[in-house]
Amino acid sequence: MTTQETNSTQIPILVMKDVSKAFPGVQALRRVTLSVLPGEIHGLVGKNGAGKSTLMAVLMGITEPNEGTIEINGKVFSTMTSKEAIEAGIAYVPQHVAMMDSLTVAENILAGELPKNKLGFINWNKVNGEAEERLKRLNLKIDVTKKVEGLGVAEQTMLAISKALFGNAKLIILDEPTASLSRSDINRLFNFVKSLKDKGVAFVYISHHLEEVFEICDRVTVMRDGRVVDTCEVKNIDVPQLIMMMVGEGVEDYTRDSTCTDEIVFVLNKLTRRGYYEDISLQIKKGEVIGITGLQGCGAEQLGKGLFGLEYRGIGEIKINGKEFTAKKPIDSFNEGLAYLPQDRYRFGLVGVRPVRENVTYPILKRLIRMMNLINRNEEKEIVDGYIKGLEIITPSQDQPVRLLSGGNQQKVVFAKLASTKPNVLILHEPTQGVDVRAKMDIFRIIDELAKQGVATIVISTEIRELIGICDRILVMNNGRLTHEYKKGAKDTTPENILYAIEGGKKNHE
Amino acid sequence: MKFKSTRFVSMILDNLIWLLVAFALIIFSSLSPSFRAPYNLVNILNRTAALGMLVIGQAFAMMSGNFDLSSESGLGLTAMVAGLFLASVTNGGLGFEVSPIVAILLMVVVGLTIGLINGFLITRLRMNNLIVTIAMLMILRGLVYIISPGATASFFPDSFNWLGAGALFKIPQTKGFLAIPVPTVFIILAFIIAHIITRYTQFGRNIFAVGSNPVAAKDAGIDTDRIIRNVYLISGFCMAVAGLLAAGRLDSATPRTGEGLIFPVQAAAVVGGVSLFGGRGTMIGAFGGFALWSILDAGLSILKVSPFWIEASRGLLLLFAVALDAFKVKGMHRQALEETLSTSHIGRKDTNIVID
Repeated sequence: MTTQETNSTQIPILVMKDVSKAFPGVQALRRVTLSVLPGEIHGLVGKNGAGKSTLMAVLMGITEPNEGTIEINGKVFSTMTSKEAIEAGIAYVPQHVAMMDSLTVAENILAGELPKNKLGFINWNKVNGEAEERLKRLNLKIDVTKKVEGLGVAEQTMLAISKALFGNAKLIILDEPTASLSRSDINRLFNFVKSLKDKGVAFVYISHHLEEVFEICDRVTVMRDGRVVDTCEVKNIDVPQLIMMMVGEGVEDYTRDSTCTDEIVFVLNKLTRRGYYEDISLQIKKGEVIGITGLQGCGAEQLGKGLFGLEYRGIGEIKINGKEFTAKKPIDSFNEGLAYLPQDRYRFGLVGVRPVRENVTYPILKRLIRMMNLINRNEEKEIVDGYIKGLEIITPSQDQPVRLLSGGNQQKVVFAKLASTKPNVLILHEPTQGVDVRAKMDIFRIIDELAKQGVATIVISTEIRELIGICDRILVMNNGRLTHEYKKGAKDTTPENILYAIEGGKKNHE
Repeated sequence: MKFKSTRFVSMILDNLIWLLVAFALIIFSSLSPSFRAPYNLVNILNRTAALGMLVIGQAFAMMSGNFDLSSESGLGLTAMVAGLFLASVTNGGLGFEVSPIVAILLMVVVGLTIGLINGFLITRLRMNNLIVTIAMLMILRGLVYIISPGATASFFPDSFNWLGAGALFKIPQTKGFLAIPVPTVFIILAFIIAHIITRYTQFGRNIFAVGSNPVAAKDAGIDTDRIIRNVYLISGFCMAVAGLLAAGRLDSATPRTGEGLIFPVQAAAVVGGVSLFGGRGTMIGAFGGFALWSILDAGLSILKVSPFWIEASRGLLLLFAVALDAFKVKGMHRQALEETLSTSHIGRKDTNIVID
């Protein structure tokens, strides 16, 4: 926050103050404050679900905030329509630019104000001339008679930016503009953006590519869990520091004693799925918790899904308690002692409109069936009550539809479901995503409790600090291979080292 | 305070169908002595029992997040197949005059085959359930005309007609007897069985899971395709039973038997609280919707309301029901949002919450 003071001589073009927004089951923004100066390229980074999209939706007048104000060029809004946002000078350029593809560049630029001759026909010479003239002012050379669908992605993006400027935009939001661009295209786009910046146009630059943030941005705001972690001058920080802010610091650290025994439960031998993961060999002991981490697309996600039977698993040997593991479908995986917690519980983990009770017992209903195929409801209620008490699930009753519970409690219901199958091996994919700090602690305790009971657990996560807290071993995955291993309590098991291993792998690859 | 009131409102909404049923019964009874006569009351469900069977099949399909629009033609086809095999040549049959048991078995086989085909096309070939069953609606109706061909088969053995037109027992009255019709009792029993299946068996649970979130259902180890196939088999079976009820009641099978039932079937299920979006609703509710439909049908015709108005009022009822469903979903969202807000620092001070 110190950096903002040094620039306080300049009057910000945009000030968002204490903006909060809640959606059913999740609080997306918590008192977010963001200011952008004229002629500034302001990076906005954070993991998926950190709140970037919601914040931008608020800025564009698409989403109404529950509290807070938006000040644009001195004009203060507490609620704002999309029209007001555009009139105030906010423009949004998405990753995939939406324009009238089958029309020419000139028609797109002058859409709605095409000059006509006396007979009411469009004066094409004037259209093209005017369009060329306008682009010239921005030093942009594009053949205005070309159809937009014939342009490259970089040109389309630049055209969209120009069009926004012709519409008197003062602040342009660039959302992942480089995602499908080659390096030379990126350079051209960046030069164009920088030239506009010199003319006083402000940009909010959203990207997952952190190097680009350093290349082009003046300041960067880091978001995490719906909050702003900090806003920094880019020249004062480096990539690891930025990642540290993204993955979180200052969160209460949780540690647990190892419950690892000597008995090997889960064996993976040379598991390979071309294009996703290769040569994965692992031995996990009873009560051991291991973490697998890596960049998005490193293959850890596919490994989890593949083991559970949601995706093709590839070839290789898998054994649970010495027995060959051959399950092809999730139900077989449950029966053979392997349970999986999906990343997105709303879509994959829960049946939202159905009650808590049913959500817990879906995989184990067979065991509850008594006479004439009917479910023993009393026994079912007892089991579910046990989990509600044991996992401290806060719900008015077993009959409450799960989607009315808070994020943390929903996640506990998924845990209850998995625990009810009495698994030998548990695979958790981002188990703490979208839950508050207190629920996180509860979830760690649940993981600990299950490990004490002898469950071998794999946690696939990008929350490095959390992994250090709960895991006996952390494995780093790079391009589908396990490349580094960090043991609990070892000297080199630090967030910095692990981050370096994650990032280092990426550098080797490129 | 407010939470309590929303719970109360949602309880009323959940049971609204029975309030409507009671309301309709009271209104019609007070307006017309012939409506409140015991003879009429026991016959309300008798006349519409075939519709009721289709409602059961449809409710199963809708709970699993699917539709089965082919059911009215399935009813027509099973009835016609039985008619052709039962009736003599002079009465429009093929002259086999098979025993009623064989005819009923044939009907069930035809019904299950329809369900099998529907389920196969939808789960194996991944075709859209709406289009598949609309296509089947046309194909099956065409088949009825082809095999009949266009003629009516009638005069069936009494034992075949028993389910659709029989009297279970007769209660002596001052003037003659009050006969309790078999279909009335049968359809109530059928709904009870359907209720037990949906509520108290694993299969029933799985139907709801598949209906509300097929992906999560799969992750929970449910074979979603098998559930859907079984649902269509059940629907096919219901068509056969409905065909038996309809043919027995009329003592004949015409090429048009069952025509125009599909929208009342949908409407009754939706009015009874079975969600169009799958995963929600109960068989008891569906029974309520079916009963309300039957009461309106009987009541309005006894009151000699113009058939044009009857049609319009049905449409209004359907609109009302769909609006109610949408309202319920919105209410659930709102409640979830309020609970999130009340646990967050924002609190529930914002009264104009926009539900996205």
